[in-house]
Amino acid sequence: MRGVKLALLAGLALLGVALLLTLLASPMTVAATNKVPGSEAPIGATTTGATYCQSHEALPRGTSAIRIWLDASAGPRVSAIVYSRGRVVASGTRGSVWIGGSFTVPVKPLARTISGTTVCASFRLHDETIVIQGMPSSRATAAHDGRHALAGRMGVEYLRPGTRSWLSLGSEVARRMGLGRTPGGTWIALVALALFASAVALTSRLLLRDLA
Amino acid sequence: MSERAAVSRARTVERQRQRPRRQSSARRVARSAGAPGSSAWAWAALRRVPATAWLCALIACLNAACWSLVTPPFQAPDEPDHFAYVKQLAETGELPSSSSEQLSTEEINVLQGVHAFQIRLQPQVHTIATEREQQELQSYLKLASTYATPGSPNAGVAASQPPLYYALEAIPYVLAEHGSDLARLTLMRLTSALFAGLTALFVFLFVRETLPEPAWSWTVAGLAIALLPLLGMMSGSVNPDSLLYAISAAVFYALARAFRRGLDTHTAIALGALCALGLLTKLNFIGLAPGVLLGLVMLTVRASRVSGRSAYRLMALAGAIAISPVVAYVGLHVVSGEHPFGIVSSAQSKRHGSLFAEAAYIWQLYLPRLPGMVNDFPGIFTTRQLWFNGFVGLYGWLDTPFPAWVYELALIPAAAIVALCGRSLVQARSRLREHAAELCVYAVMALGLMLLIGADSYLAFPTTDAEYAQARYLLPLLALFGVVLALAAQGAGRRWGPAAGVLIAVLFVGHDLFSQLQELARYYG
Repeated sequence: MRGVKLALLAGLALLGVALLLTLLASPMTVAATNKVPGSEAPIGATTTGATYCQSHEALPRGTSAIRIWLDASAGPRVSAIVYSRGRVVASGTRGSVWIGGSFTVPVKPLARTISGTTVCASFRLHDETIVIQGMPSSRATAAHDGRHALAGRMGVEYLRPGTRSWLSLGSEVARRMGLGRTPGGTWIALVALALFASAVALTSRLLLRDLA
Repeated sequence: MSERAAVSRARTVERQRQRPRRQSSARRVARSAGAPGSSAWAWAALRRVPATAWLCALIACLNAACWSLVTPPFQAPDEPDHFAYVKQLAETGELPSSSSEQLSTEEINVLQGVHAFQIRLQPQVHTIATEREQQELQSYLKLASTYATPGSPNAGVAASQPPLYYALEAIPYVLAEHGSDLARLTLMRLTSALFAGLTALFVFLFVRETLPEPAWSWTVAGLAIALLPLLGMMSGSVNPDSLLYAISAAVFYALARAFRRGLDTHTAIALGALCALGLLTKLNFIGLAPGVLLGLVMLTVRASRVSGRSAYRLMALAGAIAISPVVAYVGLHVVSGEHPFGIVSSAQSKRHGSLFAEAAYIWQLYLPRLPGMVNDFPGIFTTRQLWFNGFVGLYGWLDTPFPAWVYELALIPAAAIVALCGRSLVQARSRLREHAAELCVYAVMALGLMLLIGADSYLAFPTTDAEYAQARYLLPLLALFGVVLALAAQGAGRRWGPAAGVLIAVLFVGHDLFSQLQELARYYG
């Protein structure tokens, strides 16, 4: 009986702490991007391994993740490396089997803004097709695979933790949850919260009743 | 004192559970010809369901309803296609005729209004966020109602699926006829959430049948399944998988019951009807069918030792009920001069490669490559990366993963659960031998489903590496997962078992909580 109560209390307390830590952290925000709204388009595709690089990039201070727009249905392991004057200033790897129009690579947070960098994405492929998404540009500034230029620049976003915590963004998230649905409104978030809280309360009650 | 009380309570529950079994199965088979009224039997069966099972069902419903609010409209796998199927069925009474993705103008307008195409598979794109975008959505909704035409003959990937789930979803669709498509979607998702409740209920009952004691382990299994995030996400969206999970869990329960109490008329009818419902819900049920058939044959042979030929009549009855939808489907197509398997036959033309190549592919889809096999998944450890990681968390259109470290961390509780379950199995090895036939049936059901998923994925290979390697396709085996969890709790021993059970349940609370937070961050962050 005591063991069960203790396990439940300890488990829920641990969850509470993890939740609090999560809510006190800040979500990643886009510090900089080369995206030009409305002009995104496929700029190349490959079915073999490749290393795509593009120069004239700037990494903002505090960048702790880089998002590159490659599209795959089961993406391969990808390495992202950023060079500045021939030196590696940031690098990271994303494991295989990612899905969708972009992948994000965590990197060691940068202490200062670095301009004039070259961003490269490397991967090897077997049967998969990778589509490179980006913005059309002149051949001179386009991304390239070492031999050929693509039809534009790869979409790249530099991410860093925002200034506000998830907790302080709660009302904003609740407002957005209420948009784009019928019935809509901020109350949707409260109903979701109430549903989940009821499920947890019932679970705790059942555990104490049947296991204690 | 409290331990004694718990033991005494467990014994009481066990006595209650055993009571109906005391009637000999021979007598049941013998009197099967003159079975009492089905409604009275069904009512009595409902009354025998323990309150804990109903509470687990309620928790699963609440959880799935919560997921339905957290997931933005049409951001669950293939939801636009399933919605189109319901629209076609509800508005025209006919099935979709094409798997084209050119959905109705009305639905396309709604999808554009909520930015569904921009958000899908683009993790960097969030849902609509401004009042201006909301007003644009209202304009799209107005446009949708202006250009509304009955039905949607094209239903994308949903078109080849059987109609039962969609027919049920047509009820909320019609009930919300004065609302927009988004209002209909909300109501349809809540209907799906009810199936999560049924799934948890039947998993609880299955575990209760298969593991006679201790009673608290049934609760652990029921709660863990009720809070499983993947079940919540799928049942919180419009997708026939939600009903398939419930029916599959019910089939497992019916089989377990029959293996313990013998095959009688009610069980035969129930098994046949459940198979028919499964076949009418989603083609994936075909994967479970060989196992169910094997179970039926074993049960019949066993019953025939007592009741002779009447047992075979029961098997014929169950079989006839089970295949009736297939016969009706084929018959209708033959009469109308079409291919006997209609739109389902489109898959036949995609077959390619040798049988060995296909077998090697299916093996590698689940397990590490064996010597002599061509490597179909270079650089991918499929067991871990496709299935384990997919089960831990890959939400939305499979475009919402956890950070990489979460999958590493998840290995710890997973290993603990496997180890504790293994310990229980070793301790109960003599009882396992007694139930070898039954276990064989469950294994064939699981293998059948896995083979079906593998064979279907191979159709799209090598264009797509693993089209159907999605953890959700294995959820029809949730009943077996429930047993694994209950055994894991028991594996901690008599003294620590209940505490371990609590920790397992809390683990799933946490898994569910952080999965939903991940969705919130992905779509609204």
